Amino acid sequence: MSTPGISVLEGKYMVTMDLFPQESKEFNQVYQFYEYLKEGRFTTTKCKDCGFEPFPPRILCPNCYSNNMEWIDWPTEGTVIDVTEEVVGVPLGFGKPPLVHALVDLGGKTTFFVRIINCKESELKPGDKVKLAVFDIDSVPQESGREVVNIPRVFYAFEPVK
Amino acid sequence: MERNVCVIAGGMSKWGVRDGSQRDLFQEAAKACYDDNPHLNPKDIDGLLVASAYTERTSYQTHLAPLVAEYVGVKPRSVCARVELLCASGSSAIILAFALIKSGQADVVMVAGGEKLYTPQKWEVFYSELASVDHDWDGTQGLGLPPPVFAMVAKQHMKRYGTKKEHLAAVSVKNRRNSSKNPKAQFQTPVTMEEVMNGRMIVPPLTLYDCCPITDGAAALVLAVEEKARTMTDKPLVYVRGTGQASVNNMSANMPNWTTWEALKIAAKEAYRKAKVEPKDIDLAMTHDCFTISEIIEMEDLGFCEKGDGGPFVADGQNDLGGKVPTNTDGGLLGCGHPFGGTGIRQAIEVTRQLRGDAIQQVPGVSIGLTHNLSGFIAAHTVLIYGKEVA
Repeated sequence: MSTPGISVLEGKYMVTMDLFPQESKEFNQVYQFYEYLKEGRFTTTKCKDCGFEPFPPRILCPNCYSNNMEWIDWPTEGTVIDVTEEVVGVPLGFGKPPLVHALVDLGGKTTFFVRIINCKESELKPGDKVKLAVFDIDSVPQESGREVVNIPRVFYAFEPVK
Repeated sequence: MERNVCVIAGGMSKWGVRDGSQRDLFQEAAKACYDDNPHLNPKDIDGLLVASAYTERTSYQTHLAPLVAEYVGVKPRSVCARVELLCASGSSAIILAFALIKSGQADVVMVAGGEKLYTPQKWEVFYSELASVDHDWDGTQGLGLPPPVFAMVAKQHMKRYGTKKEHLAAVSVKNRRNSSKNPKAQFQTPVTMEEVMNGRMIVPPLTLYDCCPITDGAAALVLAVEEKARTMTDKPLVYVRGTGQASVNNMSANMPNWTTWEALKIAAKEAYRKAKVEPKDIDLAMTHDCFTISEIIEMEDLGFCEKGDGGPFVADGQNDLGGKVPTNTDGGLLGCGHPFGGTGIRQAIEVTRQLRGDAIQQVPGVSIGLTHNLSGFIAAHTVLIYGKEVA
């Protein structure tokens, strides 16, 4: 597949044009987050020394500066605090308008501003329950020696509990 | 001996959807800056800081400062580097230029900032904006372009403090009226309350006129140590009195409060302390009205009115010409547009003109002016205070 006007791009993957991060262990030290996501688990890292649970997951505790981190499960269901619906300006790759976001209280752990999928316009209201929704995204053609291996990927949004 | 730092020249290109490249816009800004002060010899500029956020993304150009130096005819020898803090890139560069001059590492520094954001297909800038937030965690939720974030801020502020859509609209009407007097602004026409209230929906409750546009443009400012500044201009000197910059979170999950911006309060407190002033001493302000709700919250968190009273404060004309603290007298982001690296410099230019007494819409009796930017997912705040006298 060639890109009009850019003749050298035939068949090439450009990380700078990718919506999503690299999830493989060769490129990401929190790759387990994505592995757990494939099992339907929503996780983060907890510091074994001070007990802090930062999100996003990381390899250094920003509270006590230890690197003694372990993976823990977080709730996969939350409560909607409020909702926005983007009618104009939805970026490429996020479907047709409206793009729905909600401020979600994730079981008291934190408040996330997340994308809501499988949700009709005006459907979601404050107080509604939403749950983790994991979906496949484009794989990455990653060089492995002389071979190119397709690395499957997933990502998450939330969806209404029906 | 104390080294005081003064602004001695400033100018900007025409802002808008521009017919030109990034380097064209920097040259236009430099020309306007040189024309602002014929006593300044650009050969006397010893340092250059360039502010640009999307230079690699939309102009495919890194190592920008030497390129700009070559194009605008300066030969830096004290500093030559680029500064990036997205929407606050320009103000960040001014803070660093101030610090370099104050410390004796530089004497005369040009700060030039700007962006060429429009590419031949407009989807590309929307797509590139996914890099403006934490790309891996918030960008992946489609939160690059900021309207959903500020729509949520507006909804929460309305719920908590009773702020109304009419209050938001008052900000837009004021800033568009101001930009209609500014020939460099993106929008040259005022809008009525009725037009704003019936604007095209973007993310409820925000309509078209609640949102600043995407803009091409550049601006340039020259700062100098006071003893040299006195020989380089015949206009009144404008002093940088104090600065503050703070960040308490980046990703949305770590936002401590959606309606009170903690980092803004910290940055403002720091700037007020260094400038030896209080909110009541500020005669005019250029605040980051990327959205109408932003200016309302900024009036509160900068201390110009009580928390929660920002809506009635703006609707009552308290931050309009003739009010308590005239704000965004050149049109702000809503009227001038917002080429990220250029905005803080554009604000500094307007404050400089107001303090010198040669602004287009001159506010009488101005002696202290403030600029403010927020950047990213409301993740950092930058405040500078300027004055006719040193702190």
